[in-house]
This record gives sequence, structure tokens and C-alpha cells, in this order.
Amino acid sequence: MPETKELARHRRERVWMWIQLLPVMTVLIVLFGGALVLGVAQSLGFAPWFGVNTFPDFSYFAALWGDVFFWKSLGLTLYYAIFATLLSLVLGILLALAMVRTFPSKSLYKYLYKLPLMIPYTVGIALAVIMLGNGGMLSRLMAFAGFIDDPSQFPQILKTHMGWGVIAVYVWKQTPFVALTIYAVLLGMGRETEEAAAILGANKRQIFFQVTLPQILPGIISSTLIIFAFNIGAFEAPFILGGGFPDTLPVVAWRYFNDADYTLQLQGMATVVSIALVAGVILYSYLAFYRRYERRIGRN
Amino acid sequence: MKKTLLSLSVIGSLMAGAAFAQDAEAFRDGFIAGNITWEDVQSRAKEEGQVNLYYWGGSDKINVWMDSIAVPALAAEGVTLNPVRITGTKDAVDLVLAEKGSGKGLGEGSVDAIWVNGENFATLKRQDALMGAFADKLPNSGNIEWNPDDPRALLNLRDFGVETNASEMPWSGQQYVCAVNTGRVAADVAPSTFDGLMTYLAANPGKFTYVKPPHYIGNTFVQAALYAHNPDGNGAVPFQGSIDELGAAELARLITPGMEYLKALEPHLLGAAGGNARYPEDPKALDGLFLNGEIDFSCQFGLYGVATGLRDGTYPEGAEQFVFPEGNMIKNKNYLVIPGNAPNPAAAMVMANYMASVDSQATKLEIAGMPPGIDPWKLSDADAAKLDAASPGLIGVTQADLDANTAPDTNATLVDVIEATWLEYIERNSSDSIEAIVENAVANLK
Repeated sequence: MPETKELARHRRERVWMWIQLLPVMTVLIVLFGGALVLGVAQSLGFAPWFGVNTFPDFSYFAALWGDVFFWKSLGLTLYYAIFATLLSLVLGILLALAMVRTFPSKSLYKYLYKLPLMIPYTVGIALAVIMLGNGGMLSRLMAFAGFIDDPSQFPQILKTHMGWGVIAVYVWKQTPFVALTIYAVLLGMGRETEEAAAILGANKRQIFFQVTLPQILPGIISSTLIIFAFNIGAFEAPFILGGGFPDTLPVVAWRYFNDADYTLQLQGMATVVSIALVAGVILYSYLAFYRRYERRIGRN
Repeated sequence: MKKTLLSLSVIGSLMAGAAFAQDAEAFRDGFIAGNITWEDVQSRAKEEGQVNLYYWGGSDKINVWMDSIAVPALAAEGVTLNPVRITGTKDAVDLVLAEKGSGKGLGEGSVDAIWVNGENFATLKRQDALMGAFADKLPNSGNIEWNPDDPRALLNLRDFGVETNASEMPWSGQQYVCAVNTGRVAADVAPSTFDGLMTYLAANPGKFTYVKPPHYIGNTFVQAALYAHNPDGNGAVPFQGSIDELGAAELARLITPGMEYLKALEPHLLGAAGGNARYPEDPKALDGLFLNGEIDFSCQFGLYGVATGLRDGTYPEGAEQFVFPEGNMIKNKNYLVIPGNAPNPAAAMVMANYMASVDSQATKLEIAGMPPGIDPWKLSDADAAKLDAASPGLIGVTQADLDANTAPDTNATLVDVIEATWLEYIERNSSDSIEAIVENAVANLK
């Protein structure tokens, strides 16, 4: 009976698939899912270990969202995240396009541009402090060269709400990441379509927007998704290089957790859940929008 | 058979645990009652073998002293000192309270001693998480003034206005001292009053800032400003009582002029010209600003901070100490406390006793620049001279200047309220009146 044999083989394959998935699923469900459930429960007033249990209680969210500074913090968080993502994207595409051309010492440059990828964020932040701060290398060189009387007159780059320092670190670290992703796509697709367009009389602009861009779009979407998700939840850069109060939301959450008053930890948890909500909504709509576009152009 | 054995061994280990806890409690009670000799403590400490000291590990100098001097010295007494470096003392307090909450008593926790003072001690005491009155019964406790009739004993008997009851051992004493960068400003231009500071900053905007509350270094600057602007003119005196004794309305009245001063000061602080005043997060960040010449004055706890800072290059050449604010240079001590659920109580006492010795205090002073916590007038002349010789020295001020301008710390229960008021009134720029903010803060902290 070949049919039952086929069925048994099919079942075996299924079981094997589940066994393969099990380790990752366990980690995801227990660690990630468990933390998520516990976080949401805490933000709704469930913390018997601090002697607080008013579940379900929306007052922490009400207090948070009713505060004008929460919205200012959210604005700053989104501004750093979006602006840095866009800047990295533009620079990353330019870099990737340059990389597919041939130029002298390209093989060396191919390693060089990946350097920031291997250096941790904290080191990048330290570099920003050393280079861009008011007591940093640039300001000292300027003072030494006589452009300014003293290093403290150097225009303030770090510790402002414009966030040039935060954005600089993000862009420095993320441009190579975007370039790497898009460069891989560019290598995979080859030059044939672009050359065909050129032969048919398309100018450079048309080639980029109508031939190259649609083909590298999946790379753009996946890389920006990853760096945006990181930027919105990152703590160190805005904590060290940001402009102080009002802080970005991850820093606000940290301040609540770090307070001597334990009950504020629930407020902190509400802040963390808010970040997750905002990030989730933005990323989901971004993906949904992209899927719709893909269907429209006939890709699946 | 196997099952019986297993359950027997489980019961056995449970009983052993319970017996050990009981035994630790009997030891504690016996020691505090004075029935246990120091030799017995030492032999028990050797059995326990280890002591876990939790302390703020942000100072390389202290860490070096701990590893190169304290660890070998205690090893000679048969106790392994395990220095647990933490970024905030609150972490260790949290751990003690969490373990206490899960039912771990004496002999069962994981923290043997913590370097604390102020609010953290007040929290431990309020939560009934202290081992008890051990500090005046150590052999080296004779180096410390415990006599309540001597006004100088106050720093040993009260920690931020909270009675210590000898449940913590004074380890170091500090005073809030400001430094001026004479490479940029002449020492005689440095202000000595808060009004003088305001005048200076009006002429030199942005050349000063202080550490952001709720960091205690920032809180202390705020407290000094409140003392100096006390409307009754009696400085620190009313700030010694607890919030229950004082009441929210009275506290609000006392701090209003000081808070208004700090608000008026903000537009003159570092970065204020660019739109937002910058308050550094911690003393390290403040040191960086001072070293870079971004600010002309830097205030923090550290009698010998300038001397040691010049030695290791973390202070700008030409840094000098100066008297600011006149009459309100806050002085306090910091302590080693043994929590009520210390796993190794005897070893913790041997460690505390070592920390109160002249040798350890002198080397700590010399290497780490940490002022002594023991009281020099209780020492023999030779020991006092040894301590003197180890001092890195004051720069620009004399001990008499400092002694003449000393003020006590603020009661720990007020510190929380003042810190919350600063955050609301200065940082968040609230439009509420100070009375309303204080009342709200008091209600929230209850």
C-alpha cells in the first residue's frame, strides 16, 4: 500500500521538522514571550514582590500618556531613530553603488568599510566623546589653530536635543550594515538589466530609479527594519550623548527602574511596553505597506 | 531504599540549614550581648572562610587598594575577602531585601557587608534588615568616638540624621569641597557664597554646573543651597528632623528661597546659552568637564580629591580647593553595614574590625585618598602621626578653614522629598507652587 507508506513518510518529516524547530521555539516562547507577558502584567499593576498588586490597573499608562513630557520624549526617540535610519540608508546605497564599480585599491576598501560593523556601539560612543566633545580632539585642534579662543567655544555637537552625536554614532555604525546588505543584492542581480536599459537610451537617473531601485528594494526594507528597531530601543547612545531632560523613552524607563522608589518600576515597565507598542505598530505598518506594494508590482 | 535515602538526605540537609541559621542567630545574639570572645569570633570566621563585601566599584584607586592591601591582609586572618563591585549601592540593598523577602535569614543570604550611607542605610533600617549593634564591640572600635556627650561623636551616631545604633561601622569621612581651576581663574576670584557664584556666572556664563540629582553628589549641592537660603537664617538646623516631625508645609517654607535660587541659577549654567542647561550624570562626568576647562569650578565630596586627582591626572594642573559655600560645607561619614541575612556574620565582623584598624585606614588614605573614618583624637600619638603622614594633603585650604565651615547632612527622609522637588520644579520646570510639589512628593513617598 504505497499511500500509507507515503503518509507515514510525510508524518515522519513533520515530526522531524518540529524537533528541529523546538530549540528556537522554546527560547522564543519561554524567554521572549515570558518576558513580554510579565512586562505587560507589571505595567498593568502586577508586582506582588514589591507589595503592589492592583491588576488590571491602567493608571500607570494613564499617568504616563497624560504627561506632556512623555510625548516630547517619544518625539525625540522617533526623531533620532528615523533620521539616523534615513541617513544611513542614503549613505549606504551610495556606498554600495560605488562598491560595484572597479576602482584602485578596491580590495582593501572592501575590508575597510566594514570596520565599524565589528566595533561595539560603546566604543563608537567613546570615539564620539573623544572626537566631537567640547573637550575633544576637534575642538582642541580648532583652538590650537586659533579659530576659537578655547575648546569650550567649539559648537556643541554632543549633549544637545538636536542629537548630532547620537545620530553620528548610529550612522557611522549602520551605514556599512546597509551597504553590506545592498551590495550583496547588487552582486546577485548583475549588471545586465542596467546595461540593457542604458543601451535602450535610459539616462543614469532613470536607470537608478526604474531599474536598480526596484531590484534592491528587498535589501533596503530588511536592513532599515533592523536598524530602525535597534535605534528606537537603544539606550547607551542617547544616555551618554543625548541632551538630558527630556530624555528618549529607553532612558526615561531606565530612570524609573533606577529610582529608590520601587513603585516607580511599574511606571518604568509601562514605558517599556509603550516603546514596544510604538515600535511594533510602526514596523508592522511599514511591512504591510511594502507587501501591498510588492503585490501591486506583481511580486510575491 | 533509594527513595528513603534520598528523602533522608533531603530532610538532613534541610535540618542542617535550619540548624545553621539558628546557630548563626545564637552567635549574633551572643556577640551583641557580649558573651562571645573575639577569639571565638575569629575561629568561627575561619570556618566561614569567606566574606562578600558589596561596594561601589567606580573608583580605580579604591579597587586597587582593596585588591592589593585588604585582600592579602584578611587572607592572613584566614578569611577570603570577596570584593563585589557594583555600579550603585542600591543594587546590593535590593538584593538584601529581595532575599529577606524570600525568607532568607541570618547565615542564608549572599551579602555580608555593604559600603553605605544615607538613604540606603535608612532603607535597610526601615525594612529591619540590619544584623544589629556590632560596631562598638569590635576590638578596634576604640578608634572611634562613641560617647554621645562628645559633639564630635555625632557623625558616628547618626547617618543623615538616622540613628546608627552601632549597626554600621564608620569607614570613611568626607566633606563637600569645591575646586577651582587656577589655570583659568585666579584663586581669589573664586566665589565663597551662592550670591558670589551668581555674580561670577552672570559675567562668565556657562562656566559652572553641578551633578544632576537624584545622584547624591548633586543632592548635596542642592542641600547646601537650601541651608544657605534658609529663611530663618539657622542653616542646617531644621533639616535634621525627619519629615514626620517637620511636616510638608514647613519643609516647603524652608526650601522655597533655595529652590528659587537654583531656578534662577539654571540660565547661567553650562550649556544654558544653547537652550538646555547640562547637568552631568555622575562625578566622573563632572571631572571630565573640569579637566577640559569647560567649567571653572567643580564641587563634590572629596577632602583629598584634588591632591589625588592631580597625582593621577584626572584634575587640571593648577586645581585648588576653596571654601564654598561659607559655613555650609556638608560633612558626613560613610559606613560598612552588615545586613540581617549575612551568610558569614563572623567573617564580616573580622573584616569590619580590620577596616577600622589604623593600618588599613592609613593605607586606604594614602593609596585611595579616602579620608579616615576613625577619629584621630582616639588614637595614640604614634598612630595619629601615621595617619597624618599618609594624608595626600589639602591644596589651597587648611583643615581649620574646613572645620570652621562644616555643616551636617540633611535627614534621610527629607533627602527623598528634596530630590523629588528638584526634579519637578527645576528639571521638569513645573508651574505648580513649591508647597504643592512638596506635599505631592511627601504623599507619593509614603
